[in-house]
Amino acid sequence: MRRARTGALAAALATACAIAPGADYAPLPGGEFTSALPQGATPGTTAVARVAPFQLRTTPVTRAEFRAFLALHPAWRRGQAPAVFADAAYLADGPAADDRPDVADARPVTEVSWFAAQAFCESEGARLPTWLEWEFAAAADETRADARSDPAWRQRILSWYAQPATATPQDVGGPPDLHGVRDLHGLVWEWVDDFNALFVAGDSRNQGDPDTLRFCGAGAISMADRDNYAVLMRVALLSSLSAPDTLRTLGFRCARPATGEPR
Amino acid sequence: MTSLTRRNALGLFACAALAASARAAAPLPGDSVYQLHPRLVDQDGRPFDWGSTRGEPVLASMFYTSCEMVCPLIFESIRRTVDAFDKPVRDRVRVVMVSFDPERDTVAVLKETAARHHCDGRWSLVRGSAADARRIAALLGIQYRRLPSGEFNHSSVISLLDAEGRIARRTSTVGDVDPALVAAAKSV
Amino acid sequence: MELQSLRGALQRTRAFLGLAAIAFVAAPALAANAPAGTGDFGPPRGEPIHAVLTSPPLVPPPIHRNYPAHVIVELEVVEKTMQISEGVNYTFWTFGGTVPGSFIRVRQGDTVEFHLKNDPANKMAHNIDLHGVTGPGGGAASSFTAPGHESKFTFKALNEGIYVYHCATAPVGMHIANGMYGLILVEPPQGMPKVDHEYYVMQGDFYTGGKYREKGDQPFDMEKAIDERPTYVLFNGAEGALTGDKALKAKVGETVRLFVGNGGPNLVSSFHVIGAIFDEVRFEGGTNVQKNVQTTLIPAGGAAIAKFRTHVPGSYVMVDHSIFRAFNKGALAILKVEGQPDKSIYSGKELDSVYLGDRSRPNLEAVTKATESARQGTLTLQDQVKAGEALFTGTCSVCHQANGAGIPGVFPPLAKSDYLAADLPRTIGIPLRGLTGKVTVNGTQYDSVMPPMSQLNDDEVANILTFVLNSWGNPGGQVSADDVKKSRAQGAASTAAAAH
Repeated sequence: MRRARTGALAAALATACAIAPGADYAPLPGGEFTSALPQGATPGTTAVARVAPFQLRTTPVTRAEFRAFLALHPAWRRGQAPAVFADAAYLADGPAADDRPDVADARPVTEVSWFAAQAFCESEGARLPTWLEWEFAAAADETRADARSDPAWRQRILSWYAQPATATPQDVGGPPDLHGVRDLHGLVWEWVDDFNALFVAGDSRNQGDPDTLRFCGAGAISMADRDNYAVLMRVALLSSLSAPDTLRTLGFRCARPATGEPR
Repeated sequence: MTSLTRRNALGLFACAALAASARAAAPLPGDSVYQLHPRLVDQDGRPFDWGSTRGEPVLASMFYTSCEMVCPLIFESIRRTVDAFDKPVRDRVRVVMVSFDPERDTVAVLKETAARHHCDGRWSLVRGSAADARRIAALLGIQYRRLPSGEFNHSSVISLLDAEGRIARRTSTVGDVDPALVAAAKSV
Repeated sequence: MELQSLRGALQRTRAFLGLAAIAFVAAPALAANAPAGTGDFGPPRGEPIHAVLTSPPLVPPPIHRNYPAHVIVELEVVEKTMQISEGVNYTFWTFGGTVPGSFIRVRQGDTVEFHLKNDPANKMAHNIDLHGVTGPGGGAASSFTAPGHESKFTFKALNEGIYVYHCATAPVGMHIANGMYGLILVEPPQGMPKVDHEYYVMQGDFYTGGKYREKGDQPFDMEKAIDERPTYVLFNGAEGALTGDKALKAKVGETVRLFVGNGGPNLVSSFHVIGAIFDEVRFEGGTNVQKNVQTTLIPAGGAAIAKFRTHVPGSYVMVDHSIFRAFNKGALAILKVEGQPDKSIYSGKELDSVYLGDRSRPNLEAVTKATESARQGTLTLQDQVKAGEALFTGTCSVCHQANGAGIPGVFPPLAKSDYLAADLPRTIGIPLRGLTGKVTVNGTQYDSVMPPMSQLNDDEVANILTFVLNSWGNPGGQVSADDVKKSRAQGAASTAAAAH
């Protein structure tokens, strides 16, 4: 009896502790940033935006981490989450809560909806990054905070887009950039908090001709930096999604304010 | 309580309560927006239960008070749509308007907005946290983005929810009544 | 009083007559066959029809229908890696799994219910802009589809013609450059005149990181695309897509209709079929027809319909007549016409070897095998004969014909040739040094010029000679590369070499 109780306690501790390790956040300084999406008051113009300092998970959330989350939050298991929060393909390829916990799976979790991603981030006292935060982080390479004007940076990103999606992505843990963040490019698409506010209409060619009534302040639809097609592709993909949608190539990572601490 | 006797009133109340609890007991369908449990407050400062409109048809949309152009039109469209409904629908329909600018849309501001648009008892203007606003927008398929100036880019979508909170019909028609929406309300 | 009522009656009568006149004029417009140009023949009738889509170069069958219908089109986007050239892989984004995408055929006035499906295994979101659609974005705004999703929109095909469709998701140029284009034909209500063959050809320019024919996996190169410096210019998405055993086919005396599109993304095509003249071209795919056209311009994002009748057999090479694109970037396709020659129209040789050089040879495996065996010292007679046959075609067959018969009075036969059999060393010298002047072969005198085949190396000469000696009733035998080398070393002998 006592041995069984100790065993159960150990198991509970193991799953509880499984969340905290691996939740590695890197601090980002924030600052002034010119987004590829126009932020200006006048429609279509860029304005420099201020990104407050924040922390970002160094890698996308892994399957192992998500499995631990499912163990403690059964409402988010496949088949439990209602259709309004997750579509039929949600976690079709796992992970499942009852996978053996010692099987480390360092691949990024995909086939997760925006709602599921939000729930995970909240479970560790964090949230999804905003598009601006994500774009700010993704502008960096190994040595520069903003490498976007370098054609080599663009070409590297483009070549990932050019490859067809493989069955499941590789493990997380690519080389770190200047901030210590990994895998922002070349691994999976990633959810952001305001993914549905990127305002690339289905047909993004009529840039200067907004349907003013349909979108309040609609002039801001156009992409400010059309040359930065690496960003354009990401915006296009995110704009095609609804919150319950899942994709085999779409994962996420979490962000939190600069002074936040894990629970 | 005019012509109703106390017994009748009690009976009616009991029936309504039974019906409500029966409905509450029946599980929500998977595609119901009431699956979400945001913490909202209405224009009178009272907690607003997002699922409390279950059982009635609902017109739902989002807005922010400082909006000059389209949001007044959304209010107007909804008002005209309600007027265009058949009486049985009009008597039951509720309107829920959620602000995506909770920072500036305080309860007092909501109250003032409701008065300005002559919102009657069926209207609830509500606010919650920024995260809740984002989630509700995701459910209703509304896009919005805060610009550094404090203005918002947002789409204008009015959703008709059925008694179980499923989106029966959506329209982007603003300024005019959408006949398809009115027709859909009949079978909701 | 009476005047009033009379005036009133007159007014009413005039009004009535006016209305009648309007009705009289309007009636034909409301009837089934509206005057050409309006394209709106009223609501669809009959059962919904599922459109038959075809992969290039085939075209769906002509429509035999005299009423507007509800047509359902289902098109799937598939991102897949395919060969763009021998040994060169490229990740294409395709409509229907092919480049160009499936051919869609509807009738003017049809109500088309369009379903765009995005394969869940894809990485990108896509949409479609059909140039035959009247409506915002050509459908692009209504068909933006994430992987694992399907969009639907409906349009009425108001205008007849041949139209390009393509993906219009940002960045548009990249989606098009990766192969996302195709053609939709909106037939006129009376249908198109019957022809024997209809084919679907679409030109596109492609931009890879590596050079032309650089082997391996090649990525898309955005800088080259922006600078409009294509690596490949191709018909139907790959080098050799329409050559060799994949060439288009027709017989002598048949009519051929080519639906030719140009997906771009950048280049305009100067479309020409070598050896043929287009009897009719619906230039730009519009209603007007130009006749007797040699080369027609097809804008990027445009199409044309070219119709011609075949008269003479042979291989007719389709090119973009910005000619470096044809020979150095791959813009080359073949229509093979078979049947009886008509010397009164054309007397001459086959065209293909003159223009194609080594491109006409569909199968160089035998040559590769022979080269390998020779290196390993295991070369057999059979290897040589097979390799020699492959090399003979396109080099020697031009003059001596594929069956070795030669051309009477012009080029001597190789078949059962007493001249070849008489003196083997002399025979070996012929490909090396050429042969000019009077010779008698099988009792007939020839006085012609054969140039030295200086482009052939020792192995190739040995294999060709071995093949010839073992074909068409010749006595057999084997010539080795060493024999050829020795003959070469003996230098220019009695036969003078003449320039070709």
